[in-house]
Amino acid sequence: MKDTGIREHGGSHRPAARTAIACIVVGSLALLGPWGSGIAAAQSAGCPDAIRIGMVFPMTGREGRPGTYQVEGIRLAMELINAKGGVYVKECGKRLPFKEILYDDQSDQGRTVQLVERTMSSDNVVAVIGAYSSSLGQAQSVVPDRYQVPWISPGAGASPIYNQGRKWIFGVLAPVELLGYTTMKFLGSLVDQGKLEKGLKIAIVVENTDHGKEYVEGVNRWVKENPGAFKVVYNESFQMGGTDFSGILQRMKAANADIFLSDAHLQDYITMHRQYTQMGLRHRMVSYGARGTEEPARKALGPAADYIFAGIWWHKDLPYPQVKAFVQEHKKKYQREPDSYYPSTAYDAVRILAAAIESAGSLDRTSIRNALHKVRLTDSLLPGQTLQFQENGQAMTPFVIVQNKPGDKVDFVYPEDSRTGEVVTRIPR
Amino acid sequence: MGLDDLLNLFVAAILLAGIYTAMSIGMTVIYGVMKMVNLAHAGFMMLGAYFALEMSQRLPIDPLITSVLAAPVFFLLGIATHRGMVRFVPVADEPTLPSLLLLFGLWLVLQNFGYAVWGADDRSIFTPLTMATFRFGGIVVPVIRLIVFGIALLSLVALHLSLQHTWFGRSVRALTQNREAGQLAGIDTGRTAMLAFGLGIAFTGLAGALLANLYSFTPDFGGSFMLRSFVITVLGGLESFSGVAIGAVIVALIETFSILVVPANYQHAISFILLVVVLLVLPGGIEGLLQRWRRLR
Amino acid sequence: MSAAPASRATSRTAYAVAALALLAFLAVPWVGISNNAIRLLLTTFLWVTTSLAWNLLGGVTGQVSFGFAVFYGLGAYTAGLSINGGITPYAAIPAGGAVAAFGSLLIGLPTFRLRGPYFAIATIGVNEAVRIVMSNLDITGGASGVRLLQAGRFSQAEHYYAALGVASLAFLVSWRVMHSPFGLALRAIREDQDAAADVGVHPFRLKLAVHALAACLTGVAGGVFAHYTAYIHPDGVFSFSTSTSILLMPVIGGLGTLSGPVIGAAVYSIVQEEMVVHFPQFHLLLYGALLILIMLFEPGGLAGLWRRLARRLRGGGP
Repeated sequence: MKDTGIREHGGSHRPAARTAIACIVVGSLALLGPWGSGIAAAQSAGCPDAIRIGMVFPMTGREGRPGTYQVEGIRLAMELINAKGGVYVKECGKRLPFKEILYDDQSDQGRTVQLVERTMSSDNVVAVIGAYSSSLGQAQSVVPDRYQVPWISPGAGASPIYNQGRKWIFGVLAPVELLGYTTMKFLGSLVDQGKLEKGLKIAIVVENTDHGKEYVEGVNRWVKENPGAFKVVYNESFQMGGTDFSGILQRMKAANADIFLSDAHLQDYITMHRQYTQMGLRHRMVSYGARGTEEPARKALGPAADYIFAGIWWHKDLPYPQVKAFVQEHKKKYQREPDSYYPSTAYDAVRILAAAIESAGSLDRTSIRNALHKVRLTDSLLPGQTLQFQENGQAMTPFVIVQNKPGDKVDFVYPEDSRTGEVVTRIPR
Repeated sequence: MGLDDLLNLFVAAILLAGIYTAMSIGMTVIYGVMKMVNLAHAGFMMLGAYFALEMSQRLPIDPLITSVLAAPVFFLLGIATHRGMVRFVPVADEPTLPSLLLLFGLWLVLQNFGYAVWGADDRSIFTPLTMATFRFGGIVVPVIRLIVFGIALLSLVALHLSLQHTWFGRSVRALTQNREAGQLAGIDTGRTAMLAFGLGIAFTGLAGALLANLYSFTPDFGGSFMLRSFVITVLGGLESFSGVAIGAVIVALIETFSILVVPANYQHAISFILLVVVLLVLPGGIEGLLQRWRRLR
Repeated sequence: MSAAPASRATSRTAYAVAALALLAFLAVPWVGISNNAIRLLLTTFLWVTTSLAWNLLGGVTGQVSFGFAVFYGLGAYTAGLSINGGITPYAAIPAGGAVAAFGSLLIGLPTFRLRGPYFAIATIGVNEAVRIVMSNLDITGGASGVRLLQAGRFSQAEHYYAALGVASLAFLVSWRVMHSPFGLALRAIREDQDAAADVGVHPFRLKLAVHALAACLTGVAGGVFAHYTAYIHPDGVFSFSTSTSILLMPVIGGLGTLSGPVIGAAVYSIVQEEMVVHFPQFHLLLYGALLILIMLFEPGGLAGLWRRLARRLRGGGP
């Protein structure tokens, strides 16, 4: 006799009544929770006492670390603005502080949409800052146009998000395609300087996501524009979250390339590069796209992370006064310097939103949306120091290339005018 | 690809198989004696990984040695888990719904425990050995994988000896083969089940600790390894210890060499497709095949 | 559950209450309830559908599946791709159900013949394999996901009624099944497959049939979800966590009953969202602990607990 452990507990000849009661309980439960917030929304016409900003980020789960960094950047910016009394709103005739309404989507696609809808429809927010990672951003980006709330993402860089003709979405990250293109432009400049020979062979191994695909598009665009400079001899993609890359690396090895380009998330970068080193692979230059300088990676890889170069949206050593101030404030609030770009774009997302609200002079969502399209942040942390959104809502700041050096050092190597160290074009043994 | 590349792939696959065996054997022990599918497998592996990390930060000994300590610690943890909850669910000749769901719930709790204690950061263990390799002609062997392979192998030998030569081992084998006959022969099933559960968790924790030396990990760690363990145990015939080793070798070989014919991005799917194929054509696993073959002779 | 006929009077009140509940839900978009509350109800209806579906297989027939995300995803993708191909949602969503039902046969055929844990294990493997394949197939958009073309203005009420309709359908189907000889045979399989076979029940065929039925309902729910959310991705609809959500709800609510899955879905989607909002770090812990406690102390789930309490209050029973 198999005991399935499920027993009927008798009294089951009136299922309909019970289920109907259950239905009513469901209904009242569903209505009770959000009811309060609905009332709150109705009350607050006119000038509230704070500018309410919804935030939906992955604070746990696969993207928990970068998501948390971004929230830290947002909080820092809000705190600094609030310390000065907040943002001046002309319509109200006074400064209003920012107020955050934060949700953790746990890196879950379904949940992230639910929470963005929740904050847009019931928290009476003026705008929403949301989404680290392109795939969570893709999911969120459907909602803003439905509820007509401006949405700014500091962490979703895939351009298909912004090419759907949507009117209410903005992105601080420059497209990943530009990352691939800039990487190649950098390598091309090394050829021009005679530091690399013409016609070197390149192997590409990227994750099979939008991020990886766009990276390859950027690389290919440059290669097509500059025939003969490099030759792509191997191009493969892999499934995210892998545990064993020996097969794909062995094949890559057989292609005998001189330069190895990859585009991967942090965990895959660590796993893959560990295996790369353990297999005794060597290339003259190695890049993992935007990855390379992160502290967990340098800890996990040790000297094997040295000389990896990366195209990044931002770095703490950029020689602008506002960057220095930001790094100091960051250290004051969180007891450490930012080790990656994540907090910087989030910080600037808040600042450009503040500028847009000020220029709109109102908390009306449409006016803010229109202002976001026009406003320019001229003391941006990002390379080039100017942040503004293009027609489609995405920013187009240039990338910088950095190279890891021994002793946890990082040097800027491209563009030429921001160079802080010599580029190493042949990784020493 | 040249001969050297193929040989390199082969070596990589065999080293991988050692790890796969160690991580699947725990599941087989528990299934064999208790007929329970340990869905908390991934959770205990994750705990094992963090155990190795904590030890490596506290003790000035090589993390590979401290990893071995995971075995006794997780043995006790397994016994505690059995005393505390597992023994209360009904036991039968095949997995019951309560046992599946109970252990699944335990996995969720362990995962959340991991997040609460260690956060979502990528952690890893790095020693001078991590990146060391030695060359043997054209073949490159990562030292750390070889050591992990060696430890896994030693633990399997220890398991084999204890199953062959102790009273407990005989009880385990008897119950695995025929539960009712074992009971009739006077085996204390409750005690044997408890020890077997402890032993299974000990192997799982040890495998997690060993894997921590190879990979970076988060509290989500273990999920994809658990899925592979399923494939391997099913391939091995669910309750056969030698079958597990053969299953691990097959899965590792197929996964590694599939790169020659299958695009790299489908590589992860291969072991699961293999699982379905095995269920279709070889429901008894390799052990079943061997038995049929023996009977024919 | 005994097949004893309910007394006429009680069943008449029951029908009246059910009709009233349905009317109340139909009126929801018209009485000035916030968009957010409607959204919560909408998702609850989708989860009610999947819970009832899972319950038919897992609760009534006793076959644990960890792979219902496959059907949810197949439904979502079929509906999504068909809508993008110009097919009206009213045809695309049922098509999702049909494809999901077909998919269920491919899983059931090899595994339902076998005894032991093969079905449960296979569902985990199939779930992973399908997710990976879908992440890489170019024709389905691969890891870029599918963006659904949206015709006309977004109307939340339209999606709400679709979800309500699907949940009602799932409810009616479950009702019919559980009060039919088919349902009786399924219960027999759960209690003792061999004994059931002895009295002329075909466990293999019936398991396949109920699996297909459950898959179809889940696929339809997936289709409604895709139409509503307008962007689907393999790591969302096909993820293992979607499978586990679908499984947790009926188990928490109470397996094998009609009210259990409904309660479970409501608790899961509503309490869970409040948990995620207020205690994000602990919501998995809650479900894990709840699952363990339910398995150890009250296999009847919340519905069982309710029954037990009610009986205690009435002063009768154990």
